[in-house]
Amino acid sequence: MRNLVYIKGTKQGLVLQLDDQCSYTDLLTELQAKVSDPALDGSAEVQIHLGNRYCTEAQTKEIIAITQSNSHLRVSSVRSDVITVEESNRRIMERQSETYVGIVRSGQVVKAEGDLVVVGDVNPNAKVVAGGNIYVLGRLKGIAHAGANGNREAVIAASWLEATHLKIDDALETMTDELTVLSEQPEMECAYLHTNGHIIIDRLQELRFIRPQISTFKGGS
Amino acid sequence: MGEAIVITSGKGGVGKTTTTANLGTALALQGKKVCLIDTDIGLRNLDVILGLENRIIYDLVDVLDGRCKVHQALVKDKRFDDMLYLLPAAQTTDKNAINPEQMKELVTKLKDEYDFVIIDCPAGIEQGYKNAVAGADKAIVVTTPEISAVRDADRIIGLLELEENIEPPKLIINRIRQHLMKAGEALDVNEITTHLSIDLLGIVADDETVISSSNRGEPVVMDPNNRAAMGYRNIARRILGESVPLMTMDQKSGGVFSKIKAIFSK
Repeated sequence: MRNLVYIKGTKQGLVLQLDDQCSYTDLLTELQAKVSDPALDGSAEVQIHLGNRYCTEAQTKEIIAITQSNSHLRVSSVRSDVITVEESNRRIMERQSETYVGIVRSGQVVKAEGDLVVVGDVNPNAKVVAGGNIYVLGRLKGIAHAGANGNREAVIAASWLEATHLKIDDALETMTDELTVLSEQPEMECAYLHTNGHIIIDRLQELRFIRPQISTFKGGS
Repeated sequence: MGEAIVITSGKGGVGKTTTTANLGTALALQGKKVCLIDTDIGLRNLDVILGLENRIIYDLVDVLDGRCKVHQALVKDKRFDDMLYLLPAAQTTDKNAINPEQMKELVTKLKDEYDFVIIDCPAGIEQGYKNAVAGADKAIVVTTPEISAVRDADRIIGLLELEENIEPPKLIINRIRQHLMKAGEALDVNEITTHLSIDLLGIVADDETVISSSNRGEPVVMDPNNRAAMGYRNIARRILGESVPLMTMDQKSGGVFSKIKAIFSK
């Protein structure tokens, strides 16, 4: 019988290479047998590679649970080479940039899955929401919510940043007068989520140091 | 074929009805045949400001429900020989008594007979607003130099821009008090127009006689020397396609001395 679970030792720790052709139940049985092997006694972090097998979230959890039933093993990551079409589309959308030209007026909401570029003002009581970053070529005087699907790396940049509310992922900042980060001249600024969980406002020039990954140009010219 | 203009603002009390009455009168004085429609059903005022309250027999809801013919409900303003008519709102029911389709049909019919059909919109963005804008070709947004009025104007402009049959709205800034604007206590004309970024149709000074003349039932625009009246007359001329420079808002100069000084300072 073929070996359905390979245990490989790499520099990064143990890797459990699971067969991607056999049935799921066979795989679980084999996995159960492998991890309960008394030869595995030193505690170790393991990575699980699923190969070309697609596992639902519940199945992934099951595999992790079985592996960790051996008290010495701890799963650090589960990797699969396949994703669903749905997930793939979502990722494409998130990388796309959408552009809105015009004024976003009071009561209006402009939403984008990925990045959002607004060419025009965002007036008070208007709202712009994006899964990625928000760039406003104009005055941002309303509400901006970047990284709406859980992207804590998202930023909000505006030619004139005078928003009433800034939100990145689930961190909300109301821009009241007491806020020390408020500058007198809100020209060319960006807002990002600091690791301490607070939204910080800085000069737009600092953005390339704060979030270098936003720039898609690599190397010098 | 005339044109239908809706006068709206979002916020109440900024002078929609006063503007409707005065623009209608000013256009009638310029020799245009004008019909005013009050769509503020349940809270009608336009008839009072025009001094036509006692002459109402039928109203807008009677017309739309087919209880009378349109011309039976139209109230003629005798002061402007056959030029100015009013279709009053009903007072005994509410805004849900009519619907946008009915209004559209009525306005289209009236446009055949009149040069201008001016629709006075109620405050708010609900049913009443939807009824008022249904038949309009153009829209005028009235605001005052207060933040709350400007915010509501912004909201209403956003809604008007979604209406496919209406041209981009134009702005009237009403009740301008020069001393407050100069002192920076009120928003200035420039600030408001950059914030809303729509064309400015005109500005109207805040003047106490507007209140007293409304109470008498005579639109202030009938007095050619009044400051507010000049604002309304200029707006009417701009609606007719003339290019009239924006009036300066400076208060009447103090006296003989300052007038002489003004001459020498030129």
